[in-house]
Amino acid sequence: MRSKLAPFALVVVAAVGIGLTGCSTGTDTGGTTKTTTITFGNWRTEDAKLWENDVIPAFEKTHPGIKVVYRATDTNDYNAAIQSQVDSGTGPDVIMCRPFDVNRAWIDKGYFDDLKSLKSISNFTPTALAAWQGSNGDPYCVPIASVLAGFYYNKAIFKELGLTPPTTMAEFTALLQKIKDNGKYTPLALGSADGWQLAYNVLDSIGPNYWGGEDGRLGLIDGTKKLTDPQFVASIQAVSDLKPFLPKGYQSLKYEDMMQLFTLGKAAILPDGSWDVTAATATGLDVGAFAPPVVNAGDQRYLQEMPDQGVGLNSKSKNKAASKVFLDWLGTTDFQQVYVNKVPGFFSMGTTPVTYDNKLAQDFADLKKGAKLTPRLALDRLSAGKPPLDDDTWAVLQTVFNDGVTPAAASAKLQKDLDSWYKPTK
Amino acid sequence: MLRTASRYRLLAIFVLPALAVYVVFSVFPLLSSVALSFFRSSGRGASMFVGIGNYIHLFTDPYTSERFWNALLNNVEFFGIHLLVELPVGLLMAALLTSGTLRRARGVYRTILFIPATLSVVIVGFIWRLIINPLWGLVSFPLLGDAKTALATISLMSVWEYVGIPMIFLYTALLAVPEDIIEASRIDGARPWQVFWRIKFPLIAPQFGLITILTYIWTFNGFDIVYALNGSAPGPNYSTDILGTLFYRTFFGSSGQVADLDQGATIASVIFFIILITTAAYFVVLQRRIKTYEL
Repeated sequence: MRSKLAPFALVVVAAVGIGLTGCSTGTDTGGTTKTTTITFGNWRTEDAKLWENDVIPAFEKTHPGIKVVYRATDTNDYNAAIQSQVDSGTGPDVIMCRPFDVNRAWIDKGYFDDLKSLKSISNFTPTALAAWQGSNGDPYCVPIASVLAGFYYNKAIFKELGLTPPTTMAEFTALLQKIKDNGKYTPLALGSADGWQLAYNVLDSIGPNYWGGEDGRLGLIDGTKKLTDPQFVASIQAVSDLKPFLPKGYQSLKYEDMMQLFTLGKAAILPDGSWDVTAATATGLDVGAFAPPVVNAGDQRYLQEMPDQGVGLNSKSKNKAASKVFLDWLGTTDFQQVYVNKVPGFFSMGTTPVTYDNKLAQDFADLKKGAKLTPRLALDRLSAGKPPLDDDTWAVLQTVFNDGVTPAAASAKLQKDLDSWYKPTK
Repeated sequence: MLRTASRYRLLAIFVLPALAVYVVFSVFPLLSSVALSFFRSSGRGASMFVGIGNYIHLFTDPYTSERFWNALLNNVEFFGIHLLVELPVGLLMAALLTSGTLRRARGVYRTILFIPATLSVVIVGFIWRLIINPLWGLVSFPLLGDAKTALATISLMSVWEYVGIPMIFLYTALLAVPEDIIEASRIDGARPWQVFWRIKFPLIAPQFGLITILTYIWTFNGFDIVYALNGSAPGPNYSTDILGTLFYRTFFGSSGQVADLDQGATIASVIFFIILITTAAYFVVLQRRIKTYEL
């Protein structure tokens, strides 16, 4: 889940990386055991080096006889590439799974074998597996990593102005007002040029505290709740109420601008996903993280945990036995411990806790304590038709920020668009 | 002396290699993409012939058609701004370059004015985004964040980049105007203004048709500048969505949307037909009638 403009440079770097490591690992001792080579198709071009230098060698060391080839496609082209490859029978043996609706469509198209019998599947809770279930509830992908969303804050600014991280929305608003009154810093590094940012890192971050996390999300899916219900309107209102604390010209500020504003120390708070722990501290700032505040003191706290990557077995693979060994290993802490520490900001979804070397990543992981977890609102089932609720939310939230559409009108439009195609499961 | 039959044989030998490459890499993919638009894949590798079903869906489904007409109208505006700004500015530049007042600096200016056309779109988009950035740039108004100004802003960035191309077309046409006619008109007492509008302009007029149709093809195939600035779901609220980005979004899908290859091919075919029909009409109807002066 990186920026929409997933830097083209990364692709180039990754390609070079693949080329170089390809050269360096060419010294293979021709053992007597027959080696099986399996391919791993995914969209994480930026992680090629890490998989090839750390993760895959760790696997191959304990599993001689199996070689894994990392095959990344740029995230924007990934769906089309995988679909045409699997349809024509040339797909990779193991395939990285998109969460929820895209993957459910892929399962329905028969792309995957189910993983019921895989041993390490028992290391995950049903909630962790939910993003990659088939219509019948069977698991189809091994969960690799999730991302969290919250608020980064500049500790130096907080110290200078004598502030402490807020726990309720009232405290949050008072705090933002205080920073604004001081006049030296922008309270909130947030722009509305990127719709996905408003949806994933603002509405889906503070919203669950209004709609009660899974309660509200599943309520929309089974039709017992509507987006026009007071708790959903209130959540959009809360997002809209942030407008006075945004930098000037926020309407055309993109994700990159926000990050720059924050890392240059000109803004106090950045609403963002955990995948940016490295970027947020890149300029050497002392950064902390706080969870989305609750509405009233003493309320149950909710935190967004978004399943990001899973890995499944191509039903047309010719190396299923070896592929299953690899998938089983991906479900163990052996893998998770290596992976999450190489990619700070991504979190293990297994039941056994993993320790994080990166301090800020550990801070983020600590936000999970005492919070009920919930994925983003619109990606499960509600985006499987047209218009997808997810895309619709991006555009509608932009109209709230840029065109002054009221929260009530915004939620009415969202519900109307959803009603035009969605049949509740109940 | 070669006989007719062997001349044709030779002709075929010379043409065939290029023709083969053209057919394999251009005609065939185009036709297979159009063919794809008549099918609907139902998963598990199966694909069903649905006739013009995808086209009916594109034009009648409330959501899909809303996005399509929005993209088409935006594309017309994108083309209109290019034509209305790029052509006059290109003409002005070409006229100044050939006016003789620049003397030796002519080559320098010609190069400078053409340089943007050689830059990568990503760089052009990035530079302009910084220049008009409300935080660090020159303009405090969020030009790209307002649905009313966003498309015009992007169009003008693109105009800035490509204005060198009509300029070069018109510049070469102006250079081709024979010096003796101009001299004769001066002797007859024509002022520079009259020389330009009465002598030079009619002689370069056929170029306008060509530039217009090329601009039409470029803008209706447009994609890169919008994608570089606003991604594949170009906001705010789809106000900068053009046919190219609509196609891209549909065909390639996104993290939350399944790639719809058939519907994508349908949009690609519609773009192809829009360009084909207009271009063909232009060549049949207009290009033949444009008056060229015998010199």
